[in-house]
Parts: sequence; structure tokens; C-alpha cells
Amino acid sequence: MNVPKTQIVLTTLFVLTSTFSHSNNNMSSFYSESTFLALIILSIVLIAISVLLYGIKRHLTVLNNEKNKQVAEPSLYERKFRPIIEAWNPTIATLIIAGAVMLFLGAFGYKFGMEEVGVQQGYAPTQPINFSHKIHAGQYEMDCKYCHSTVEKSKSASIPSLNTCMNCHKYVKAAEKYNGKTSPEIQKIYNAIGFDGDNMEYIEGYDQKPIEWIRIHNLPDLAYFNHSQHVVVGKVECQTCHGPIEEMEKVYQYSNLQMGWCIDCHRERGIDSENNDYYEEAHKNMLAEGKDYITVAENGGLECSKCHY
Amino acid sequence: MSSNNYWKGLEELDQTQEFVSSNANEFSEGLPLEQVFSNEDSSRANRRDFLKYFGFGLGAVTLAACNKTPIKKAIPYVEKPDHVTPGVPLYYASSSISDYVGHPILVKVREGRPIKFEPNSDAKFFGCGLDGLAHSAILSLYDTTRIKGPIKQGKRKPIKWSEADKYIIDNLDKVAAKNKSIAIVTRNNTSLLLNQSITKFKAKYPNTSVIPYEAITSSGILRANEKSFGKAVIPTYHFDKAKLIVSFGADFLGTWLNAGKARSDYAQNRKPDGDMSRHYQFESLMTLSGANSDVRLPMRSNQTGLHLLKLYNILTKGSDSEGLELPGNHINKIAKELKDSRGKSVVLCGSNNIHDQIITNAINLELGNYDDIIDLENHYNGNSIDEKVFLEFVEDAKQEKYGAVIFVDSNPQYSFADFDNILNKIEFKVSNSIIDDETSRMCDIIAPNTHPLESWDIKQPYKGKYVFSQPTISPVFDGRNTSTSFAKWADENIDTKNKFSYDYEALKTLVSNEIGRDFNKLIEKGFFEKEALTASTPSFLANVNDSINNVKSRKKTSKELVLYQKLGVKDGSFANNPWAHEMPDPVTKVTWDNYLTVSKPDADELKLVDNNVALIEVKGQQIELPVIVQPGQVKGSFGIALGYGRKYAESVKNDMQNLGTNVYPLVGYANNTNSYVIDDEIKIISTGREYELARTQTHNSIEGRDIVREASLEEYRKDPKLRKVNKHHNLVTLWQEYDYSKGHHWAKVIDLNTCNGCSACVVSCSIENNVPIVGRDEVRRRREMHWLRIDRYYSFEALEDKDLKMSIVHGGDRSIKKGDQLSKEKVMETYSKEVGNFDYYQYVSTVHQPMMCQHCDNAPCETVCPVLATTHSSEGLNQMTYNRCIGTKYCANNCPYKVRRFNWFRYNENEKFDYHFSNDLGKMVINPDVTVRSRGVMEKCSMCVQKIQAAKLVAKREGRKLKTDEFTVACAQTCSSDSIVFGDLNDPNSKVSKLYKKYRAYHVIEELGTKPSIKYLTKIRNKKQTTNHS
Repeated sequence: MNVPKTQIVLTTLFVLTSTFSHSNNNMSSFYSESTFLALIILSIVLIAISVLLYGIKRHLTVLNNEKNKQVAEPSLYERKFRPIIEAWNPTIATLIIAGAVMLFLGAFGYKFGMEEVGVQQGYAPTQPINFSHKIHAGQYEMDCKYCHSTVEKSKSASIPSLNTCMNCHKYVKAAEKYNGKTSPEIQKIYNAIGFDGDNMEYIEGYDQKPIEWIRIHNLPDLAYFNHSQHVVVGKVECQTCHGPIEEMEKVYQYSNLQMGWCIDCHRERGIDSENNDYYEEAHKNMLAEGKDYITVAENGGLECSKCHY
Repeated sequence: MSSNNYWKGLEELDQTQEFVSSNANEFSEGLPLEQVFSNEDSSRANRRDFLKYFGFGLGAVTLAACNKTPIKKAIPYVEKPDHVTPGVPLYYASSSISDYVGHPILVKVREGRPIKFEPNSDAKFFGCGLDGLAHSAILSLYDTTRIKGPIKQGKRKPIKWSEADKYIIDNLDKVAAKNKSIAIVTRNNTSLLLNQSITKFKAKYPNTSVIPYEAITSSGILRANEKSFGKAVIPTYHFDKAKLIVSFGADFLGTWLNAGKARSDYAQNRKPDGDMSRHYQFESLMTLSGANSDVRLPMRSNQTGLHLLKLYNILTKGSDSEGLELPGNHINKIAKELKDSRGKSVVLCGSNNIHDQIITNAINLELGNYDDIIDLENHYNGNSIDEKVFLEFVEDAKQEKYGAVIFVDSNPQYSFADFDNILNKIEFKVSNSIIDDETSRMCDIIAPNTHPLESWDIKQPYKGKYVFSQPTISPVFDGRNTSTSFAKWADENIDTKNKFSYDYEALKTLVSNEIGRDFNKLIEKGFFEKEALTASTPSFLANVNDSINNVKSRKKTSKELVLYQKLGVKDGSFANNPWAHEMPDPVTKVTWDNYLTVSKPDADELKLVDNNVALIEVKGQQIELPVIVQPGQVKGSFGIALGYGRKYAESVKNDMQNLGTNVYPLVGYANNTNSYVIDDEIKIISTGREYELARTQTHNSIEGRDIVREASLEEYRKDPKLRKVNKHHNLVTLWQEYDYSKGHHWAKVIDLNTCNGCSACVVSCSIENNVPIVGRDEVRRRREMHWLRIDRYYSFEALEDKDLKMSIVHGGDRSIKKGDQLSKEKVMETYSKEVGNFDYYQYVSTVHQPMMCQHCDNAPCETVCPVLATTHSSEGLNQMTYNRCIGTKYCANNCPYKVRRFNWFRYNENEKFDYHFSNDLGKMVINPDVTVRSRGVMEKCSMCVQKIQAAKLVAKREGRKLKTDEFTVACAQTCSSDSIVFGDLNDPNSKVSKLYKKYRAYHVIEELGTKPSIKYLTKIRNKKQTTNHS
């Protein structure tokens, strides 16, 4: 029985080391890789085998003892726990234990399902370029709409294309920080678009590649969200949903983006019915009813197919 | 006559055992509960097995759920084009793909991907709307069977364009050196760009001839016009000006000539409040035109000539002196009416026989219908192919006169019998096909064309009318426009590195020479119309007597086989398209297959019923096809649709690979033209086998409810309120009333009078709303997903018509009184008394009714949903929230209109449904604004809520009110006859609120108190000549 034991120990060690080495990896995601999953499955299988082998061994020992008429000493379980358990009413005991376990698991599952599954609040992946909103939006006070230029026209605010970056970074190289060399992060832009920073010219026939940013705010496909609706019509500030973006060195998901969060805002916020002719009729009705403002919800903002279609 | 008994099919009329039993059940298949719970068979699952599977399933699901959250990327442009705003669609004017001669359309493009075609509403002359095939043709861009780049046959090796050009030029030079001819086999080509390049090509290879080829021709009309008027052209018909339309077998609303324009023009004249036209249709098979006619009269197709002759005789000589024996006296009556509406009528003939067409021309000339209604001067350029040229080519090729052939979009290997023998006699064969079709597989090299959506073009569908195409997507594959290819082969020095530049420059020069306006403005508009030419009435040059003698000398056969085209597939050139196949045929409601249509008396005689497989023996060829017994079809006529039985690449594994039977080999040849009516010896027997056709028609029954309403124009004029038909109910409601008068209240009005059932809306809706294609087998299980269906109802209403009855019965007594319930028994009783063995099935009349979610204000579906997944909006919409739906199907059971569809599978990720939805290329057509539904949820018409929201948002952003009828929904937008009107009921100026108040408007099953937001307008048939005429 020595050989399997060694193997088990070795495998466990291997799994552990690989797990740790894995977690040290500078991954762009906080989630695992499939090899890791495979190793876990493998270790579970091995553990199952060792349990099985242990069971066989125990049975063999018992059989051996019976054959040799040796009376085994009662184990700790038989001495201490068994008498207590035997004193219980088995039905009630089972129900209580099962009930407690179910309740615990259920509560855990509910909480997990509501707050964890698909909710990525705080998600701050490492991006291909360490772009700092703190510098651009905070320090230099650039307007959000300079880069996210479609936010007033379209459902997506859109990530700027490289030529937008190049509007400034053709000249801005942050060279003072890097001993007169182009900053390595800005160099990434040049490498993608094909710009020779030293000679200040675009390289002809360069195989341009877009920057593959990692998407932070992921709404499920079943929800329709339109930036222009909120920014232009609703006059919502970017920071209301995206948080103190001008202070973020690395962008993270500020709001939880759950439906309850949407609904809460729709219940509270008023619409600007006074300055928008679209709401003329609604505004008149509001005045007739003697109200100060109409909330989004009163204007139908809680109806399902305003967002789900 | 709301008292009509409507029925959906013969089985409902006859109340067959099968129908009654299947109709008693809500679902087509019972649940296999008994099997599961029976203990008899121990091999079946028992409790322990259940626990095992349950446990395993739970474990498996848990494991499967442990999937890591995928990392999503957001990839911006490197350099964003100025005009592109991600998330906002762009519209480009272009030309329809399925309409090969050119038809203006708009292409909706999202982030560089064309996702939908929309009609170009400015191009009124070309006909409003698009048909179902035109919509579905967008899938041809995202077809996985497309040729990826030049391919050299043999080993099917992909090569570079430079190699391909060298190979082709070398071989063409060899052929030229041998003094053999080169043939360019085109289709009905109206592209000026291509013609220009071919001219260049001809300059280098003078021994080149252009051979136009179409699978289906109308050369009978061309030749007749040449003989009659000296112009071998297809005239432009102006149905909007015709007050009286008499068609002899011409399905002008379906597939005859330019049906798109016909549907649109015809509907303009079908408004009962104005001067409504009258339409007589003589025909053998039940066609779309017959279904929409005011009076439909039976006529075997091989008797078209005789009917025309009789009409001609009566018109010219006052009476039918020839003594032609045709049943009934309709023609006398029609002749009189035609005379009364001189110059405002049109007589059409669907036969491809030159003599029939010459007599038709003589009749129309006699009636003064040229040039106002039949315009020979501003003629149509489609259907203008004479097969003579191709047949000469075939003869020459047999004698090995041709050394090379280049196929341009044409595919004769599929539609021309024994073409491979001819191809084998030609040394060098090139194809420009963009898909792996029958002909290209036989060629030495494929130099693939670009898809029409990837190329520049100018087409001339009518004389003096131009349609432009522009690239709407950067090429998906490595194709090259054929006009560039020809230019390159003519002149090797042309730079083709940029595949657009040559075409673009050539087009610019062409346009400035031909039209001479601002190029960019023309491209933006998409079409250009030169001023129409005026012409005087032509003089008649032909000898009618020759034609009369020809008609009289024809042999009289009692059986005929009519080869027709179906609206969804047409000639089969775009048959590689699952959307087109899933669109139910407007008449038979069959999807996915072709079949033999048989009249009821013939079916009884041959002992055939629906879905029996019949063996058809014609001209020594045997074909097996399933049978449809078609009400309205004439005894002795049998019909089969062309365009089926295409053979695709082996990679196509779904229903597309196995699509009906190719009947092109049966096409006859008589009087130097193709003949689609075969009256040789036809033998039809039952094989005793069954093949279940996927038919949507009898899914759900109307159970005698008051759903369709129709009346005659006479009744309508007498009582515009149609009190006899439109019964309104005063109902007490249990629901709490909601005030919809604030804000918007979206609604639709559907005019049953102009709806011709063409089903374009069905396809348009599917594309707009990402409705999955389910395939033949699922349709058989009643699981089609179409949010909008078109119900087709038959009735014996026509038999109630006094004149018709008199003409059938020859003076029998009038035992059918007005308002009698015209049940089958009543008709049988009456007519058998009067005319003995009478085929009343020939005299059915048809109503088409588009049916979608009615968005009831008191919706029965909403009250039964246990999870509130379907709710009502303040704007009157019945909302369906997929992510809340748990799939109990209570709502579908409680919906009186049966418009809810249950999504059974994940069609977008399921290999079994290998249509466009499940591959990466095909997914490009998905509308990003609409959820792709997963399995297990209910779905239904949302009244295109995404379009409503988008239009509202634009108005809000601009700080203005919504303009009246500023936007419309997908079905209404594509309707060529403007039958579906969408709008805001709370806007007093909107079209819909005006139509809503019409007397003809009614709610379907109003008595239930559901208060639908959709109203229908009663169908009005103009059956009788009104008193002021006679």
C-alpha cells in the first residue's frame, strides 16, 4: 500500500503547487483557466480512489480479524458518539439535520444567486494599455465626450478608436518620465497603429491592429440600455453610474448594474418635461395634477419592454 | 356575407376523422405520460432510475454551471470612419438581389454589416414594398457555401487572383488561336457596367457571343409583340389605371412578369371607397391572383387559346360564330363589360404560346388598352430572354464550335436537361458563381463574383429607368466583380489591386455619359428615372387568322400538367435560402417542399389524399411527389412547382440539401418557345407511400368563429356600415378600465381588401425580430416560430353569386337565398339537384388574413401568467419579457388568436438547426437591437417595440414631438399594397386613427371583450357590374 500513498502525496503536492503558481500568474482575469479545472477534477478522482482503497483495506482488516478471532477494540465513534445518536428519535433527528442543512444551503444559494452570479461590481481587469482616467479626466480635465464621442448619439458610448488617441499622442509621449524615450504605454498605441515615434511619421503599409480592451460593464443581452437616452434626454452625469471615474487609475465597475439598481433610479429621478417638447402633453397633465415633477416610473419607465425586447 | 362558412382546408370541410380527433387536442402530440408510468415494460424507467437520472442530472447541471464567466472584449476601430456611429444604423440605397434586373431598395447596415432590406419608398414607379424572397435574399451574403476565392477545379485548389487571371487568359488565347468561339452565358442582364466590360472583352476576343439564359422564359410574349407591333419587348402594365382586369391564367400578383410592381399598382385601385377595379381570373391551379380576384372562373390551362378566341370573336364579330363549346356564359358577360370600359381594361394571358399572345394583343388593341395601360414604349427589361439564342448555342456546342464558355450568374446545369453532355464538348469552362452551384462544379475554374451587396453596379430594369448598387460591406470573401474580371481578361494592365477602383471609375464615366447628373446624389437616391416616352397606339402587323387556326387545330386532351413557380422560391436561382423555404406558400401553406397539386375530383378518382406519394409519368420520365388536394383547382389539371431539387455542396447538411424534386426536365418545347403546360400523355398513380408535407395551414382551427368578414361592393355601396356583416357587441367587462388616451396608443389596421397574402410581411418580420428558422420537421410538429402568419380561408361564397350560379346552372331555380349558410351540404344539395354531378370545389373563394398578436387592452394571456412575464404597457402594447418567462405556456393556451409561439430549442447554438442562426457567418444578419431568445420561453409579435423606442428616442433627443406617421413597423413597411397600417391612435391626424373609425373596421372575435389594438377592414369583392354601367 506504500506506492499509492506516495502517489497520492505527490499528486496533492503537484496540485497544490500548480494552484499556487497559478494564482501568482498575472492573469487579466480573476477567473481560473481550464487546466486548473482539469487538475481539480483529477485530484477529486484520486481522492475518491484513495478513499475506496482505504475502505477496502479496512474491510480486509475486519475480515482478517474475524478469521483470526481477534476482538477489535471499539473505536472512538462507537464509544462516545454512537450511544448519543442511538438515543435520538431517528425521524426527527434526520428532519432537523436535513432542515438545517437545507436552510443553510438555501440561504447561501439565494444570497449567492442574487448578489454574486453575473454581478461584477468592482471588476477591474488589467487592460492591454494601462490607461489612466485619473490623468486624462482628472488631472487634465478632458471632457468625457472627447473620447467617448458617440455617447450623445448612440446606445454605446464607444471606446475611442486609435486615431482619437493619436490626436494628442502624436506629440504627447511622456518622454520626460522615461529618459527622453516614448512612454512604453504610449508606444503600444504606436505599435498598433503603425507610427514611428522617432521620425514622427506613419509607417506605410503597416499591418494595423486594434487594441483589444477588456469590457468591464457587461449588461446581459436581454437588457437594452441606451447611453444617449440617459445622457441627452435624462441629463444624467457620467459619474452617477460610473462613479468617480476621474479618480480611477484603473477603471472598475462602480455600480452593480442589477435591475433593482436601475429601477431604484427610475423611481426617484424626475424627467425634464419642461424643456423638452416631446413631453409637452405629459407636462401639462403634471401641472394640472399639481405635481412638481414626473418620475421616470410615472412616465412608463418601469414597463418591461422599455428595456427588454 | 358573414354567414359564410369558412374553412381552412378540405379536411376541415369534410370533418375527417383525423381532423376531428387532432383538433380536439390542444397540442399536436400528446405527452408520453402513459409510457412513463406503465409498469408493464420493466425496461422503462422506474422510480430508482428516475432518482439516478435526477441525481446525475443535478450533478451535471451543477458542473456545467461552474463555467467561468467569459472575458468579453471591446475592440474599437483603428481609424473610425466619420460616418459610422456604433449602435446607429446606416441606410444605403442599392438594388434588390433576388430581382436580377434591378429594383431599388434600402440596405440597413449596422457597424458595417447589412442586416435588413427595406423598400425604397421614393421609388414609387418600381412598385412599393418588397416580396418575401427579396427580403430573405440578404442571407445569400452570409452563406457558408459561398466560394471563398478563385478555385481551380480538379483538386479544387484555391489559387490567387493573379494565377487565376493568367490561367484564364492563357486558355482563352489558346481557344482564340484555334479559331473556336467563346460563349458568355449570362442571365437576363440589365447591367450597363457588365455590358461595357463584355464589349471590351469582345474587342480582344472578337469571336465571342453573349448567350442570355433564364430557366423560365416569357418568349411567347416577346415574339407575339414582335409579330404584332414589331417590338420584341415585355410591356409595362399599369394596373393602377385598369378598371377591369381579365386574366387568362396569368398569375400577375404572384410570379408572372414583374409581379412586384403589379401587386403595388393593383392595390391602389382596390379601395372600395373610390372607383374600385374588377378582376376576373380564369385559371386551372389556384394562384395568388385567383385567390384575390373578384370572380374566379375555372379554365384548364391548355384551353387558354380557346377562351381567348371566344372572347376575340365576341368582341370583333358580336357573337361567337365559331361555335366553341365552353361551359357557362361568363365570356359573353365579360365581353360586354370589356366593351363598356374601353381603354380602361386589360386582358392578360399567362400562356407562353405565341399564338395565344397574338390573340391577346389583338383583343387589347381592339379594346384600346395601348398605350395607357399596356406601355410598349417604356418597356420592362426583365423576362426579355428568348431561349432561341441559347438553343442555337447548344446545337453549336454539340458540334464543338465553342472552345470556351464563361458562365455569368447563370446555372443551366440545374435547369436545362442533359446540359453536362454539352459542357463536356467545351474545352474550357469558367464560372463566376458566388456559391458552389451545379454549373460551377462542372467548370475548370471558378473566378467568383463579388456579392451584389459588395459591388458597384448600374442596372436598367425599365427603359430609361436606372437603379444603382453600391458596396454596403467590405467583401466577406475574396471575390471580384465580374465586370472587373472581364476588363482584366481583355486588358491585363488594368490595376485590380483595389477590387473596387475599376468598377467605381467605370461606373462614374458610365453615369456621366448616360445620365449626366451629380454622381453622388444619384447613388444616394439609388435610382434615376428619365422622362417617360410618349407613344401612339401601335399598328397591328400580325395575321390573327394564323393564330386562330393554330388554336383551333390543337389537340384536345383531358389532362394537363402545369409547371408553375412558387412565390417563395420562384425559378430556384435563390433557392439556397432557408428563410424563403420556411415562408409558407400563400395558397397551399406548405413549407420546404414542392408537391403535386390535384383537384378534388381527380384525387377522388385516383384515390389520392394529402401526403400520399404519387408517381407521375410524363414523356417517359418518372417523378415521385407528395400530393396536395387543392380546392379551386380544375379537374384534369395537375400542378408542380419549378425551382426545387437544387443540389448543393456536401457541406450543406440540413433541409436545404433535400429540397423537393427538380421538374425542369419536364418543361416542354412547342411553337419555338418553352411550354410550361404539358398535355402529353400523363399517367398518375398512387405509390401507396406517405410523405408528410410540412404544412402550417391546419395548425389550430377557427371553430366557426366570426373571424373573417367580407361583403360585396354592391352591399357596401348600399350600406357602408355593413350592418349585416359587422355585428358589434356591447360588453360588460370584469377588467379595470385603463385610460389609454394619454401619451401614445400604438395600433394597426389591416385591410383584408388589399391584402393579397403574398407573405412578404412574414419574412420581413422574421428578419427584423430574429425569428429562428425551425426546419421542415419542426413545422410538421406545429412548432413554426413566425410571429406573423397569414391565415387563408376558403368558402363557397362564390357560389352564392347569382350570375355565376345562373351561368353554371343554365337557368336553374334560385333555391339558394341570400344569407343562407353555404355549408358544404347545402351546396351539394342545391347543385346536385340542379346540375347533377357538379364539381363545386372549383368555385371556392379565398380570403387571406394576416394574424399576429392583437395587443389586446384586456389581454387574456396577461391574466394567466403565473410569473407576470407578459404585461401591458401604458402605450397599449402587450409586452413579453423573455427573461421572466418560465415557459408554462398558459398564455398560449389562453390566447384566442393563437399567436404565441413557444421556443423549443436554442436555435442559435444547435447544430441540428444548421441554418444561418447557428454559424458565425450567418449570425452577422442578426438584429443587434432585438434579443435572441433562448429555449423555453414564449415569444410573439412585439409590435416592433425596438422601432417604437428608437423613434421616440430620436424625438426626445431633438426635443420635439413625434411626427405623425414618422416611422412604421417591419410588416407595414414592406407591404406592397399598403394593407397594414401602423400608427398612434392618440394622434388624430395619423392614418391609423382615421382608418380605425371606418365603418368597415372590426375587431376579430370582438365578443370576447379582449379589446384588441388591431382592427381589420372587411373584405369587399367587386363581383357585379354596378347598375350605372349596365
